[in-house]
Amino acid sequence: MKQLCTTRDVPAGGCHRIELADRPPLAVFNLDGRFYVTDDTCTHGEASLCDGEIDCDDGVVECPYHQGAFEIATGRPAGAPCSIPLRIYRVEVKDEAIYAAIDETEAACP
Amino acid sequence: MPVIEIDAQDAVFDCAPGDTLLRAGLRAGLGMPYECGVGACGCCRCEVIEGEVADQWPEAPGLSDRDRRKGRVLACQTRPLGDARIRLRLDPRIEPVVRPARRTAWLAAVNDITHDIREFVFRSDAPADFLPGQYAMLALPGLDRERAYSMANLPNGAGEWHFRIRRVIGGGASEALFSQLAPGAEIGLDGPYGMAWLRTDSPRDIVCIAGGSGLAPMLSVARGVAAEPSLAGRRVDFFYGGRTPADICGQPELAALPGFGEAIHYHAAVSDADAAHSAGWPGKIGPIHQLVESTLGERLDSAEFYLAGPPPMVEALQQLLQLTHKLPPERIHFDRFF
Repeated sequence: MKQLCTTRDVPAGGCHRIELADRPPLAVFNLDGRFYVTDDTCTHGEASLCDGEIDCDDGVVECPYHQGAFEIATGRPAGAPCSIPLRIYRVEVKDEAIYAAIDETEAACP
Repeated sequence: MPVIEIDAQDAVFDCAPGDTLLRAGLRAGLGMPYECGVGACGCCRCEVIEGEVADQWPEAPGLSDRDRRKGRVLACQTRPLGDARIRLRLDPRIEPVVRPARRTAWLAAVNDITHDIREFVFRSDAPADFLPGQYAMLALPGLDRERAYSMANLPNGAGEWHFRIRRVIGGGASEALFSQLAPGAEIGLDGPYGMAWLRTDSPRDIVCIAGGSGLAPMLSVARGVAAEPSLAGRRVDFFYGGRTPADICGQPELAALPGFGEAIHYHAAVSDADAAHSAGWPGKIGPIHQLVESTLGERLDSAEFYLAGPPPMVEALQQLLQLTHKLPPERIHFDRFF
Protein backbone atom coordinates (compact mmCIF):
# COMPACT_ATOMS: atom_id res chain seq x y z
CA MET A 1 0.00 0.00 0.00
CA LYS A 2 1.24 3.46 -0.86
CA GLN A 3 0.33 6.58 1.07
CA LEU A 4 -1.22 9.11 -1.29
CA CYS A 5 -2.32 11.97 0.96
CA THR A 6 -4.22 12.67 4.17
CA THR A 7 -7.96 12.91 4.68
CA ARG A 8 -7.59 16.68 5.14
CA ASP A 9 -6.40 16.96 1.51
CA VAL A 10 -9.74 15.75 0.15
CA PRO A 11 -12.76 17.93 0.89
CA ALA A 12 -16.12 16.25 1.48
CA GLY A 13 -17.84 15.73 -1.86
CA GLY A 14 -14.60 16.60 -3.62
CA CYS A 15 -11.48 15.00 -4.96
CA HIS A 16 -7.74 15.39 -5.02
CA ARG A 17 -5.35 14.54 -7.86
CA ILE A 18 -2.17 12.63 -7.06
CA GLU A 19 0.72 12.79 -9.53
CA LEU A 20 3.23 9.97 -9.14
CA ALA A 21 6.35 9.29 -11.16
CA ASP A 22 6.13 6.72 -13.98
CA ARG A 23 2.39 6.15 -13.86
CA PRO A 24 -0.82 7.93 -14.84
CA PRO A 25 -2.28 10.26 -12.19
CA LEU A 26 -4.75 9.05 -9.56
CA ALA A 27 -7.89 10.62 -8.15
CA VAL A 28 -8.83 10.38 -4.47
CA PHE A 29 -12.55 10.95 -3.82
CA ASN A 30 -14.37 11.74 -0.58
CA LEU A 31 -18.02 10.70 -0.65
CA ASP A 32 -19.53 11.56 2.73
CA GLY A 33 -16.39 10.58 4.60
CA ARG A 34 -15.68 7.43 2.60
CA PHE A 35 -12.56 7.56 0.47
CA TYR A 36 -12.07 6.00 -2.97
CA VAL A 37 -9.12 5.92 -5.34
CA THR A 38 -9.39 5.61 -9.14
CA ASP A 39 -7.35 6.52 -12.18
CA ASP A 40 -7.73 10.25 -12.84
CA THR A 41 -7.78 10.07 -16.64
CA CYS A 42 -11.14 9.46 -18.30
CA THR A 43 -11.18 6.21 -20.31
CA HIS A 44 -12.91 8.00 -23.19
CA GLY A 45 -10.31 10.68 -23.82
CA GLU A 46 -7.55 12.69 -22.28
CA ALA A 47 -9.30 14.57 -19.45
CA SER A 48 -8.75 14.80 -15.70
CA LEU A 49 -11.73 13.55 -13.72
CA CYS A 50 -10.62 15.75 -10.82
CA ASP A 51 -11.70 18.69 -13.02
CA GLY A 52 -15.14 17.13 -13.40
CA GLU A 53 -18.33 17.37 -11.42
CA ILE A 54 -18.97 14.97 -8.54
CA ASP A 55 -22.53 13.94 -7.87
CA CYS A 56 -22.55 12.66 -4.28
CA ASP A 57 -26.16 11.47 -4.35
CA ASP A 58 -25.48 9.17 -7.28
CA GLY A 59 -21.86 8.49 -6.29
CA VAL A 60 -20.64 9.38 -9.77
CA VAL A 61 -17.99 11.63 -11.26
CA GLU A 62 -18.57 13.27 -14.62
CA CYS A 63 -15.83 13.96 -17.13
CA PRO A 64 -15.42 17.71 -17.68
CA TYR A 65 -15.35 17.44 -21.49
CA HIS A 66 -18.26 15.19 -22.44
CA GLN A 67 -20.02 14.64 -19.10
CA GLY A 68 -19.55 10.93 -19.51
CA ALA A 69 -19.75 9.42 -16.03
CA PHE A 70 -18.33 6.70 -13.79
CA GLU A 71 -19.47 5.18 -10.50
CA ILE A 72 -16.72 6.22 -8.13
CA ALA A 73 -16.89 3.12 -5.92
CA THR A 74 -16.85 0.56 -8.73
CA GLY A 75 -15.37 2.38 -11.76
CA ARG A 76 -18.36 1.23 -13.78
CA PRO A 77 -19.29 3.50 -16.70
CA ALA A 78 -22.46 5.39 -15.73
CA GLY A 79 -23.12 7.64 -18.69
CA ALA A 80 -22.38 7.84 -22.42
CA PRO A 81 -19.94 8.16 -24.06
CA CYS A 82 -17.91 6.28 -21.43
CA SER A 83 -18.01 2.52 -21.97
CA ILE A 84 -14.64 1.32 -20.70
CA PRO A 85 -14.57 0.98 -16.89
CA LEU A 86 -12.31 3.21 -14.84
CA ARG A 87 -9.58 1.42 -12.93
CA ILE A 88 -10.16 1.44 -9.16
CA TYR A 89 -7.79 0.70 -6.28
CA ARG A 90 -8.25 -0.81 -2.82
CA VAL A 91 -8.08 1.88 -0.15
CA GLU A 92 -7.14 1.92 3.56
CA VAL A 93 -7.33 4.89 5.90
CA LYS A 94 -5.08 4.85 9.00
CA ASP A 95 -4.69 7.82 11.33
CA GLU A 96 -5.92 10.26 8.68
CA ALA A 97 -3.50 8.90 6.08
CA ILE A 98 -5.00 7.50 2.85
CA TYR A 99 -3.28 4.48 1.33
CA ALA A 100 -4.05 2.72 -1.95
CA ALA A 101 -2.96 -0.62 -3.35
CA ILE A 102 -1.59 0.90 -6.53
CA ASP A 103 0.67 -2.04 -7.38
CA GLU A 104 -1.98 -4.71 -7.04
CA THR A 105 -3.01 -6.45 -10.21
CA GLU A 106 -6.07 -4.82 -11.58
CA ALA A 107 -9.16 -4.97 -9.43
CA ALA A 108 -11.76 -6.19 -11.89
CA CYS A 109 -14.79 -4.00 -12.30
CA PRO A 110 -17.60 -5.91 -10.55
CA MET B 1 -29.02 36.32 -36.07
CA PRO B 2 -28.79 34.94 -32.49
CA VAL B 3 -25.48 35.54 -30.72
CA ILE B 4 -24.31 32.71 -28.45
CA GLU B 5 -21.89 33.21 -25.61
CA ILE B 6 -20.07 30.34 -23.94
CA ASP B 7 -19.92 31.00 -20.22
CA ALA B 8 -16.45 31.64 -18.73
CA GLN B 9 -14.70 30.60 -21.97
CA ASP B 10 -14.40 33.96 -23.72
CA ALA B 11 -16.09 32.59 -26.82
CA VAL B 12 -18.95 34.18 -28.77
CA PHE B 13 -20.42 33.03 -32.06
CA ASP B 14 -23.33 33.76 -34.40
CA CYS B 15 -25.96 31.10 -34.99
CA ALA B 16 -27.49 31.21 -38.48
CA PRO B 17 -31.25 30.60 -38.73
CA GLY B 18 -32.02 26.90 -38.50
CA ASP B 19 -28.57 25.99 -37.17
CA THR B 20 -28.04 24.07 -33.94
CA LEU B 21 -25.71 25.31 -31.21
CA LEU B 22 -23.20 22.61 -32.14
CA ARG B 23 -23.02 23.29 -35.85
CA ALA B 24 -22.89 27.07 -35.40
CA GLY B 25 -20.06 26.71 -32.89
CA LEU B 26 -18.10 24.43 -35.23
CA ARG B 27 -18.68 26.77 -38.16
CA ALA B 28 -17.08 29.48 -36.00
CA GLY B 29 -14.04 27.21 -35.54
CA LEU B 30 -14.62 26.40 -31.86
CA GLY B 31 -13.53 23.12 -30.22
CA MET B 32 -17.08 22.01 -29.37
CA PRO B 33 -17.09 18.43 -28.00
CA TYR B 34 -19.16 16.00 -30.10
CA GLU B 35 -18.99 12.71 -31.93
CA CYS B 36 -22.17 11.59 -33.69
CA GLY B 37 -23.93 14.90 -34.29
CA VAL B 38 -27.30 13.11 -34.38
CA GLY B 39 -28.38 12.99 -30.72
CA ALA B 40 -27.15 9.52 -29.88
CA CYS B 41 -23.73 9.67 -28.21
CA GLY B 42 -24.27 12.42 -25.64
CA CYS B 43 -20.84 14.00 -26.14
CA CYS B 44 -22.21 17.50 -26.84
CA ARG B 45 -24.23 17.94 -23.63
CA CYS B 46 -24.41 21.52 -22.38
CA GLU B 47 -26.44 23.78 -20.11
CA VAL B 48 -28.39 26.81 -21.25
CA ILE B 49 -27.92 29.54 -18.65
CA GLU B 50 -29.75 32.38 -20.38
CA GLY B 51 -32.01 32.61 -23.40
CA GLU B 52 -34.77 30.61 -25.05
CA VAL B 53 -33.98 27.49 -27.03
CA ALA B 54 -35.94 24.85 -28.92
CA ASP B 55 -35.03 21.21 -28.47
CA GLN B 56 -35.73 19.42 -31.75
CA TRP B 57 -35.51 15.95 -30.16
CA PRO B 58 -36.29 16.02 -26.41
CA GLU B 59 -36.30 12.20 -26.18
CA ALA B 60 -32.83 11.89 -27.77
CA PRO B 61 -31.02 8.81 -26.41
CA GLY B 62 -27.87 10.87 -25.80
CA LEU B 63 -29.41 12.36 -22.63
CA SER B 64 -29.70 10.34 -19.43
CA ASP B 65 -32.24 10.88 -16.66
CA ARG B 66 -29.51 12.57 -14.63
CA ASP B 67 -28.80 14.93 -17.54
CA ARG B 68 -32.47 15.84 -17.82
CA ARG B 69 -32.70 16.36 -14.05
CA LYS B 70 -29.80 18.78 -14.33
CA GLY B 71 -31.47 20.62 -17.20
CA ARG B 72 -28.89 19.64 -19.80
CA VAL B 73 -29.51 19.68 -23.53
CA LEU B 74 -27.65 18.29 -26.51
CA ALA B 75 -25.93 21.04 -28.49
CA CYS B 76 -26.51 18.99 -31.66
CA GLN B 77 -30.30 19.00 -31.13
CA THR B 78 -30.81 22.52 -29.77
CA ARG B 79 -31.64 25.66 -31.74
CA PRO B 80 -31.52 29.08 -30.08
CA LEU B 81 -34.63 31.25 -30.44
CA GLY B 82 -32.60 34.39 -29.65
CA ASP B 83 -29.35 35.39 -27.97
CA ALA B 84 -28.24 32.80 -25.41
CA ARG B 85 -25.51 32.00 -22.93
CA ILE B 86 -24.51 28.34 -22.58
CA ARG B 87 -22.09 26.36 -20.45
CA LEU B 88 -19.77 23.71 -21.83
CA ARG B 89 -16.05 23.01 -21.88
CA LEU B 90 -14.32 23.86 -25.16
CA ASP B 91 -11.41 21.64 -26.11
CA PRO B 92 -8.77 23.44 -28.21
CA ARG B 93 -7.38 20.07 -29.35
CA ILE B 94 -10.54 19.34 -31.32
CA GLU B 95 -11.05 22.65 -33.12
CA PRO B 96 -12.28 21.75 -36.61
CA VAL B 97 -9.49 21.62 -39.19
CA VAL B 98 -12.04 22.17 -41.95
CA ARG B 99 -15.01 24.25 -40.80
CA PRO B 100 -18.34 22.69 -41.78
CA ALA B 101 -20.54 24.50 -44.31
CA ARG B 102 -23.95 23.92 -45.90
CA ARG B 103 -24.09 23.19 -49.62
CA THR B 104 -26.55 22.02 -52.20
CA ALA B 105 -25.60 18.77 -53.94
CA TRP B 106 -27.02 16.71 -56.78
CA LEU B 107 -27.05 12.94 -57.19
CA ALA B 108 -24.62 12.15 -60.02
CA ALA B 109 -24.35 8.34 -60.02
CA VAL B 110 -25.35 5.18 -58.14
CA ASN B 111 -23.19 2.01 -58.10
CA ASP B 112 -23.90 -1.39 -56.52
CA ILE B 113 -21.18 -2.51 -54.08
CA THR B 114 -22.70 -5.56 -52.33
CA HIS B 115 -26.17 -7.12 -52.20
CA ASP B 116 -27.30 -4.38 -49.80
CA ILE B 117 -24.71 -1.56 -50.02
CA ARG B 118 -24.69 1.03 -52.80
CA GLU B 119 -22.36 3.89 -53.55
CA PHE B 120 -24.10 7.24 -54.04
CA VAL B 121 -22.05 9.93 -55.74
CA PHE B 122 -23.17 13.52 -55.18
CA ARG B 123 -21.75 16.64 -56.77
CA SER B 124 -21.66 20.14 -55.30
CA ASP B 125 -20.62 23.44 -56.87
CA ALA B 126 -18.18 24.16 -54.07
CA PRO B 127 -15.11 21.93 -53.58
CA ALA B 128 -15.53 18.76 -51.49
CA ASP B 129 -13.47 19.96 -48.56
CA PHE B 130 -12.95 17.42 -45.74
CA LEU B 131 -10.38 15.17 -44.07
CA PRO B 132 -10.24 11.44 -44.88
CA GLY B 133 -12.54 9.63 -42.40
CA GLN B 134 -15.05 12.45 -41.84
CA TYR B 135 -18.79 12.48 -42.45
CA ALA B 136 -21.50 14.83 -43.72
CA MET B 137 -25.12 15.42 -42.77
CA LEU B 138 -27.48 14.75 -45.64
CA ALA B 139 -30.90 16.39 -45.78
CA LEU B 140 -32.92 14.04 -47.98
CA PRO B 141 -36.29 14.88 -49.51
CA GLY B 142 -39.22 13.73 -47.39
CA LEU B 143 -37.28 13.12 -44.16
CA ASP B 144 -37.60 15.36 -41.14
CA ARG B 145 -34.15 14.69 -39.67
CA GLU B 146 -30.79 14.76 -41.41
CA ARG B 147 -28.68 11.60 -41.52
CA ALA B 148 -24.93 11.27 -41.05
CA TYR B 149 -22.97 9.42 -43.74
CA SER B 150 -19.20 9.14 -44.14
CA MET B 151 -17.35 9.97 -47.33
CA ALA B 152 -15.50 7.06 -48.98
CA ASN B 153 -13.42 9.19 -51.34
CA LEU B 154 -10.80 11.89 -50.83
CA PRO B 155 -11.31 15.65 -50.71
CA ASN B 156 -11.37 17.12 -54.20
CA GLY B 157 -11.83 20.35 -56.08
CA ALA B 158 -14.47 18.84 -58.36
CA GLY B 159 -17.06 18.80 -55.56
CA GLU B 160 -17.54 15.00 -55.59
CA TRP B 161 -18.86 13.26 -52.49
CA HIS B 162 -18.99 9.45 -52.43
CA PHE B 163 -21.14 7.70 -49.82
CA ARG B 164 -21.65 3.97 -49.22
CA ILE B 165 -25.05 3.33 -47.83
CA ARG B 166 -26.56 0.10 -46.62
CA ARG B 167 -30.18 -0.58 -47.39
CA VAL B 168 -32.12 -0.99 -44.18
CA ILE B 169 -35.62 -2.32 -44.84
CA GLY B 170 -37.99 0.13 -43.15
CA GLY B 171 -35.11 2.56 -42.57
CA GLY B 172 -36.47 5.87 -43.82
CA ALA B 173 -33.20 7.38 -44.99
CA SER B 174 -31.84 4.41 -46.90
CA GLU B 175 -35.28 3.70 -48.41
CA ALA B 176 -35.44 7.32 -49.57
CA LEU B 177 -32.04 6.95 -51.21
CA PHE B 178 -32.49 3.49 -52.71
CA SER B 179 -35.97 3.80 -54.11
CA GLN B 180 -36.84 7.46 -54.51
CA LEU B 181 -33.74 9.43 -55.40
CA ALA B 182 -32.94 9.61 -59.13
CA PRO B 183 -29.84 11.10 -60.71
CA GLY B 184 -30.12 14.86 -60.75
CA ALA B 185 -32.08 14.94 -57.48
CA GLU B 186 -31.16 17.79 -55.16
CA ILE B 187 -30.23 17.34 -51.48
CA GLY B 188 -28.75 19.45 -48.69
CA LEU B 189 -25.22 18.50 -47.63
CA ASP B 190 -23.65 19.92 -44.48
CA GLY B 191 -20.13 19.06 -43.49
CA PRO B 192 -17.55 17.94 -42.82
CA TYR B 193 -18.00 16.58 -39.30
CA GLY B 194 -16.31 13.92 -37.22
CA MET B 195 -13.19 13.31 -35.20
CA ALA B 196 -11.96 10.03 -36.71
CA TRP B 197 -9.88 11.63 -39.46
CA LEU B 198 -6.47 10.51 -40.66
CA ARG B 199 -3.64 11.84 -38.49
CA THR B 200 -0.87 12.40 -41.03
CA ASP B 201 1.56 13.53 -38.32
CA SER B 202 1.50 10.20 -36.46
CA PRO B 203 4.67 8.13 -37.03
CA ARG B 204 2.86 4.85 -36.33
CA ASP B 205 1.70 2.07 -38.60
CA ILE B 206 -1.99 2.35 -39.40
CA VAL B 207 -4.77 -0.13 -38.75
CA CYS B 208 -8.25 0.44 -40.22
CA ILE B 209 -11.08 -1.79 -39.00
CA ALA B 210 -14.50 -1.66 -40.64
CA GLY B 211 -17.78 -3.50 -40.43
CA GLY B 212 -21.07 -2.87 -42.24
CA SER B 213 -21.26 0.53 -43.88
CA GLY B 214 -18.22 1.56 -41.83
CA LEU B 215 -16.33 0.64 -44.98
CA ALA B 216 -16.68 4.18 -46.38
CA PRO B 217 -14.67 6.18 -43.84
CA MET B 218 -12.01 3.48 -43.52
CA LEU B 219 -11.62 3.41 -47.29
CA SER B 220 -11.19 7.16 -47.22
CA VAL B 221 -8.51 6.87 -44.52
CA ALA B 222 -6.61 4.17 -46.47
CA ARG B 223 -6.89 6.20 -49.68
CA GLY B 224 -5.66 9.22 -47.74
CA VAL B 225 -2.56 7.31 -46.62
CA ALA B 226 -1.80 6.24 -50.19
CA ALA B 227 -2.24 9.79 -51.48
CA GLU B 228 -0.14 11.51 -48.81
CA PRO B 229 3.55 11.81 -49.87
CA SER B 230 4.76 12.03 -46.25
CA LEU B 231 3.18 8.61 -45.57
CA ALA B 232 4.74 6.85 -48.57
CA GLY B 233 5.51 3.22 -47.71
CA ARG B 234 3.62 3.38 -44.39
CA ARG B 235 2.15 0.01 -43.44
CA VAL B 236 -1.65 -0.15 -43.46
CA ASP B 237 -3.53 -3.22 -42.21
CA PHE B 238 -7.14 -3.00 -43.33
CA PHE B 239 -9.69 -5.31 -41.70
CA TYR B 240 -13.27 -5.88 -42.77
CA GLY B 241 -15.72 -7.93 -40.75
CA GLY B 242 -19.04 -9.09 -42.18
CA ARG B 243 -21.74 -11.49 -41.06
CA THR B 244 -21.79 -13.59 -44.24
CA PRO B 245 -19.41 -13.95 -47.22
CA ALA B 246 -21.86 -11.85 -49.28
CA ASP B 247 -21.21 -8.92 -46.93
CA ILE B 248 -17.45 -8.87 -47.45
CA CYS B 249 -16.23 -5.89 -49.45
CA GLY B 250 -13.43 -3.37 -49.83
CA GLN B 251 -10.65 -5.50 -51.32
CA PRO B 252 -11.02 -4.30 -54.94
CA GLU B 253 -10.80 -0.66 -53.87
CA LEU B 254 -7.71 -1.31 -51.75
CA ALA B 255 -6.09 -3.39 -54.48
CA ALA B 256 -6.31 -0.33 -56.73
CA LEU B 257 -4.04 1.65 -54.38
CA PRO B 258 -0.30 1.89 -55.00
CA GLY B 259 1.58 -0.31 -52.53
CA PHE B 260 -1.18 -2.92 -52.17
CA GLY B 261 0.30 -6.25 -51.09
CA GLU B 262 3.51 -4.54 -49.97
CA ALA B 263 2.65 -1.73 -47.56
CA ILE B 264 -1.14 -2.09 -47.70
CA HIS B 265 -2.74 -5.36 -46.58
CA TYR B 266 -6.37 -6.47 -46.59
CA HIS B 267 -7.83 -9.00 -44.11
CA ALA B 268 -11.45 -10.16 -43.83
CA ALA B 269 -13.45 -12.39 -41.52
CA VAL B 270 -17.01 -13.70 -41.55
CA SER B 271 -18.77 -14.06 -38.20
CA ASP B 272 -21.62 -16.43 -39.15
CA ALA B 273 -19.95 -19.88 -39.36
CA ASP B 274 -22.98 -21.59 -40.92
CA ALA B 275 -23.23 -18.99 -43.66
CA ALA B 276 -19.47 -19.26 -44.22
CA HIS B 277 -19.59 -23.04 -44.60
CA SER B 278 -22.62 -23.14 -46.85
CA ALA B 279 -21.06 -20.51 -49.14
CA GLY B 280 -17.73 -22.33 -49.19
CA TRP B 281 -15.95 -19.31 -47.67
CA PRO B 282 -12.23 -20.09 -47.74
CA GLY B 283 -11.19 -17.30 -45.35
CA LYS B 284 -11.24 -16.63 -41.64
CA ILE B 285 -14.33 -17.20 -39.50
CA GLY B 286 -15.00 -15.31 -36.28
CA PRO B 287 -15.45 -11.82 -34.89
CA ILE B 288 -13.15 -9.26 -36.45
CA HIS B 289 -11.43 -8.32 -33.19
CA GLN B 290 -10.02 -11.85 -32.95
CA LEU B 291 -8.59 -11.61 -36.45
CA VAL B 292 -7.09 -8.21 -35.59
CA GLU B 293 -5.34 -9.60 -32.52
CA SER B 294 -4.04 -12.79 -34.15
CA THR B 295 -2.91 -11.02 -37.35
CA LEU B 296 -1.14 -8.08 -35.76
CA GLY B 297 0.51 -9.85 -32.83
CA GLU B 298 3.09 -7.54 -31.25
CA ARG B 299 2.53 -4.87 -33.90
CA LEU B 300 -0.84 -4.17 -32.30
CA ASP B 301 0.72 -2.33 -29.38
CA SER B 302 2.48 0.28 -31.50
CA ALA B 303 -0.18 1.07 -34.13
CA GLU B 304 -2.64 3.93 -34.66
CA PHE B 305 -6.23 2.64 -34.94
CA TYR B 306 -9.21 3.85 -36.95
CA LEU B 307 -12.55 2.11 -36.39
CA ALA B 308 -15.97 2.35 -38.05
CA GLY B 309 -18.80 -0.10 -37.77
CA PRO B 310 -21.73 -1.40 -35.73
CA PRO B 311 -21.62 -0.53 -31.99
CA PRO B 312 -20.95 -4.14 -30.83
CA MET B 313 -17.91 -4.30 -33.11
CA VAL B 314 -16.54 -0.98 -31.88
CA GLU B 315 -17.23 -2.00 -28.28
CA ALA B 316 -15.36 -5.31 -28.66
CA LEU B 317 -12.43 -3.54 -30.28
CA GLN B 318 -12.29 -0.95 -27.52
CA GLN B 319 -12.17 -3.73 -24.96
CA LEU B 320 -9.36 -5.41 -26.88
CA LEU B 321 -7.31 -2.28 -27.47
CA GLN B 322 -7.90 -0.29 -24.30
CA LEU B 323 -8.45 -2.95 -21.64
CA THR B 324 -6.40 -5.92 -22.85
CA HIS B 325 -3.60 -4.05 -24.61
CA LYS B 326 -3.71 -0.79 -22.59
CA LEU B 327 -3.60 1.49 -25.62
CA PRO B 328 -4.36 5.11 -24.71
CA PRO B 329 -7.65 6.43 -26.14
CA GLU B 330 -5.74 9.07 -28.14
CA ARG B 331 -4.50 6.32 -30.46
CA ILE B 332 -7.96 4.92 -31.21
CA HIS B 333 -10.07 7.06 -33.54
CA PHE B 334 -13.79 6.53 -34.12
CA ASP B 335 -17.06 8.39 -34.08
CA ARG B 336 -19.67 6.66 -32.00
CA PHE B 337 -22.95 6.02 -33.80
CA PHE B 338 -25.74 3.88 -32.40
